Amino acid sequence: MRRRTLAAIAFVLAVAAVAFWGLTRPDPLPAAAIPTHEADVRNGETLYHAGSCVACHKAPEGAPGADRGLPAGGTPFPTPIGVFYPQNLTPDAATGIGRWSEVDFVNAMRLGISPWGTHYFPAFPYASYRSMTMADLLDLRAWLMSLPAVKSPQREAEVPMVALARRGVGLWKRVAFRQPTFSPEPGRTPSWTRGAYLANAPGHCVECHTPKDWLMVADESRHMAGGPHPGGEGKVPSLRGLLTRKKYKDVDDLVLALQNGETFGYEGLSSGGMAAIQENLARLPESDVRAISEYLLSLR
Amino acid sequence: MRISKQAVASLVVALSVGSAAAAVIAADAFHDRHMAMEAVGDAMKPLAAIAKKQAPFDAAVVKTNATTIADNLKKASTLFPAGSGGGDSLAKPEVWSDPAGFEKRMKDAHAAAVALQAVSDEAAYGPALGALGGNCKGCHDKYRLPKK
Repeated sequence: MRRRTLAAIAFVLAVAAVAFWGLTRPDPLPAAAIPTHEADVRNGETLYHAGSCVACHKAPEGAPGADRGLPAGGTPFPTPIGVFYPQNLTPDAATGIGRWSEVDFVNAMRLGISPWGTHYFPAFPYASYRSMTMADLLDLRAWLMSLPAVKSPQREAEVPMVALARRGVGLWKRVAFRQPTFSPEPGRTPSWTRGAYLANAPGHCVECHTPKDWLMVADESRHMAGGPHPGGEGKVPSLRGLLTRKKYKDVDDLVLALQNGETFGYEGLSSGGMAAIQENLARLPESDVRAISEYLLSLR
Repeated sequence: MRISKQAVASLVVALSVGSAAAAVIAADAFHDRHMAMEAVGDAMKPLAAIAKKQAPFDAAVVKTNATTIADNLKKASTLFPAGSGGGDSLAKPEVWSDPAGFEKRMKDAHAAAVALQAVSDEAAYGPALGALGGNCKGCHDKYRLPKK
């Protein structure tokens, strides 16, 4: 009798393990999915600033590349589940993305799958980046490949049961990837559409400004409505109703704020990690800063 | 050893008066530094208007407002006693865990405001205001929580 019970439990566990393994299997794109594309490095640079890549992928103070502001990675990124060490994005062959093929890069950005076939934790905001166009992804890769190579070895995340947790991210993706990717709204101006794309896809504003549901998926019914700071620094402000709440006077005002931040007295743009974001946005062409501002001020 | 009831009672009273006094001091410090920082923010407005070309450059306006900023920064820097964080305060625990770093930021910001007081020509204005704003930003980045 007792032996039968044990056998039944073992059977159920085995089925669960097989199901877990099957449901969490990474499913990367094949190389054939990458179209022929002539890369526009300048566009890649724009996307790099729009995504504030270097804000998280910067090298720790004093490390190689840190003084030149290169995205050599390794600066600890604390989250409620543990500490992550962002990837070296310079083209170093051994420790950076130098040996990554185009499809490797696209799989990382769109599907959160590493070149070695494992899931990235969504601290790397691929849930937003998967809305980026193929052309933009390839341009961004070309820009990163044009940077000086810095040697900066990868460090594994400090997360409990990291290998199992990493595999389990596959389940999270099944939920998170059900949300539709960015698509233009009919009847909007080209500038608004550009701003919406920049803010939501490369800009990944929602990662902090949209509250998360219990599964840590952005709750789009409360798009950009603010919520708890993911790094535990109090509250992230809402980006809705910025005009009616008199946070900014008009589009020109927000453009100046994003371009100059606290230098022009916009003291709301300095805390909670926004200082680095503002500095990166200031490097965009003015038309793009204006596009983002138009989009943000349209959020009611 | 016998401890008299009176001794216990006076100890209790002393402790509660002491902690109440500490709480009052902390609350006062929070209120006073908040007012000082608000004054800094208000004085930044006419300065920013010049930078935005919404107002003409005027050395007298610059001097007055830079002086207000310098004075209030100096005042605020003395108003962060231990235990005055939390609640409505946006000060991060780093203010007290890294007092040397915080103090340096406050000093640098004050020095930038003092330097701005003396600016008399328009060409030097942008960089001088930028230096002050950069110090505000650097400190708010590290030592202040986001505003709601």
